[in-house]
Amino acid sequence: MVRTNDADELVSMLSCKFDMHEVWGSTVRVSMWLVLAMFAGWPGIARAQDNYEIQVYPSETMTPKTLLVELHSNFTAEGSTATQFGMLPPEHQEHETIELTQGINDWSEIGFYIFTAEKSGNGIQWVGDHIRPRVRVPERWHWPVGVSLSTEFGYARSAFSNPTWSWQIMPIVDQTIGRWYWSVNGTMVWDVHVVPPPTNFSPEQKQAYYRDVAPRGVTFGPAATLTYAPSKYYNFGVEYYSYYGEWGNFVSLHNQQQQFFPVVNLFVSPKWEINFGAGWGATSATDHLIVKCIIGRSFDWSHRRAGGSKSSQ
Amino acid sequence: MVTNRRTFVAQSGMALAGAALAPCILDGVQTQPDIKLEIAPLSLEIAPGKVVHTVGYNGRVPGPLIRWPEGKPIVIDVANRSPVPEIVHWHGLEIPSGMDGASEEGSPMIPPGGQFRYAFTPRPAGFRWYHTHAFAGHDLKRGSYTGQFGCFYIEPRNDAGAYDQEIFLTLHDWNAYLAAGGDSSMEAAYDYSTIDAHMLGYAAPVRVREGQRVLVHVLNASASMIHWLALAGHELTVLAMDGNPVPTPTSTPAIRLGPAERADVVVTMNHPGIWVLGETRERLRKAGMGTVIEYANQPGTPRWIEPPETLWDYRRFAKPRATDHQPGQAIPLRFESKFHGPGAVATWTINGKSFPHTDTITLKEGERYRLQMINRSGDEHPLHLHRHTFEITSVNSLPLSGLNKDVVIVPANGTVDVDFTANNPGATLFHCHNQTHMDFGFMTLFRYV
Repeated sequence: MVRTNDADELVSMLSCKFDMHEVWGSTVRVSMWLVLAMFAGWPGIARAQDNYEIQVYPSETMTPKTLLVELHSNFTAEGSTATQFGMLPPEHQEHETIELTQGINDWSEIGFYIFTAEKSGNGIQWVGDHIRPRVRVPERWHWPVGVSLSTEFGYARSAFSNPTWSWQIMPIVDQTIGRWYWSVNGTMVWDVHVVPPPTNFSPEQKQAYYRDVAPRGVTFGPAATLTYAPSKYYNFGVEYYSYYGEWGNFVSLHNQQQQFFPVVNLFVSPKWEINFGAGWGATSATDHLIVKCIIGRSFDWSHRRAGGSKSSQ
Repeated sequence: MVTNRRTFVAQSGMALAGAALAPCILDGVQTQPDIKLEIAPLSLEIAPGKVVHTVGYNGRVPGPLIRWPEGKPIVIDVANRSPVPEIVHWHGLEIPSGMDGASEEGSPMIPPGGQFRYAFTPRPAGFRWYHTHAFAGHDLKRGSYTGQFGCFYIEPRNDAGAYDQEIFLTLHDWNAYLAAGGDSSMEAAYDYSTIDAHMLGYAAPVRVREGQRVLVHVLNASASMIHWLALAGHELTVLAMDGNPVPTPTSTPAIRLGPAERADVVVTMNHPGIWVLGETRERLRKAGMGTVIEYANQPGTPRWIEPPETLWDYRRFAKPRATDHQPGQAIPLRFESKFHGPGAVATWTINGKSFPHTDTITLKEGERYRLQMINRSGDEHPLHLHRHTFEITSVNSLPLSGLNKDVVIVPANGTVDVDFTANNPGATLFHCHNQTHMDFGFMTLFRYV
């Protein structure tokens, strides 16, 4: 364990190396890193999260030859105000992510992300890109629940993320029962390439770094949602996002990410999807209030013609 | 007690079964029937290794083709060897309510192990059909999801018969399950689609010769699916719809039929080869809906050619002007759904009420009525009027005339007006022919005063 009086030195060393913004670009869009409080002996303080895309996936994939364009806008209304390890404080930061999802057939799709961040005085910064193929159990198998498997791979600039390269696997299970809908995303991430710890770290510090900041193993951060639909035009409910740490070596509850978003989904048209939510952080390691919005529009590229092979009617 | 269609059927139809059966026995009438139908479970191999467990007539799907001269009385004995009450509806025939085969009108349900004798005089001439009219509800292995359907051709006294070959084709979808539908609620979806109970490539081809004129009678016997059909490389000339000659026979690359709709088309075989006659939508052809048309002495494998864009409009086959007849009374009918959740089946209402709580509409014999259908839903609905034929007089406010049918598709968020003359006294059912919709409230009764 790093001694308390090492903290300032550690902060200083790390701050010149990387910004602890984290990009997952997947279901659990709340970044799970910056556990440097472990080094500093400041539980819950040296922890930040990243909010590029905050969304719980359904098992359903996009219709073949249909492109969904989504804009994820996330604003941290109340978060950490301290600059930690060179990272700008998350409070009042705005993240914009463009997500493109193309349906391939009735059981697969592929998604692509463009992550951006806005910092005061710096304009819009490109953060990175991820690609996300996803397959599902076809509806014709008649499983009682929807099941799909997503995998995501991508790069993010070291100025914004550690790791720079990451690979994620996420099983998705969901079900609609009458007016109720639930979905669980079991997000598991492997850091393919991380920013190395400072060269002057002691072996103990490096060990702590790889345990708490950049785990070498697979980390776990499930997400879930439960909604109720009073009308065909909207539903409301709650979304849950988390980060537990490395499998077999979860961080303490105090340092886990636990966040709850009351949300509303609007279905104003089959072509549009709109999601609003406000997230409340339940642990000190979680930003206290994040406001999110997703606006999506689907485009049909199949050139369906009446009476033609691609016609849907 | 809340009454739905299931309990209504059970209470009224089953009660009537005994009463209706009794006269057959008590009267001692033991004449041989002209037709015998046996309703029984069967295993249907629609393709090698693909077996559908369903219910059919006389151990086959479709049931036997009934060809019968117009105006000649017919007696049909129906034995129910299935484990549930059943009934046979004679679709498109203008016959008495008690024989029509809809328990809501007073026809009896046939109990398991029971038998019923239908006796009527088939009319009018043309391509009709018969099918179960039993409630299915959430059980998608009953009702019209099964193989209980067959063609009934009432031969006209004077048949022009300008064709060299005549075939009957029935479209059906199998292994129904509930899936997210187009109107935010659950609807029936299917694993397989067939023509004459065979998937594409697994039935004997229809053999033709170059230069032949082939008359094709097509029935969409699907419980809920609208189907497009085309013969690769050929035009289809529509001669009749729902068995009634159209005022303007017109050629088209493809036809579109809602559940229960029929079309009589003639095809001139002028493009030698081996062709697919099938659903125009690729996914439904892959699901099996197609058959092979094989010219004599043509080698090769069946080919599909994408038909040109086809806009389906009833007006193309009708007179594009308003009808000369004016109705005595207009009956507005507003269709809406009640949402019960994206994971539930919607209930349907006519003028705000679901059957059997819908308002019964009274008719006066001899009067001409106009049904003004207003569809306030995002689904298309095939509306069927029992025991009568109507004339379509407008679609989405565009006038037409001369097109007589017994089923009409009302466009999503659209309107259709039809006129009919109240010329067949008795309880008359009016409903959406989508089995899911009709089971969940989308029907009403007309009664004569």
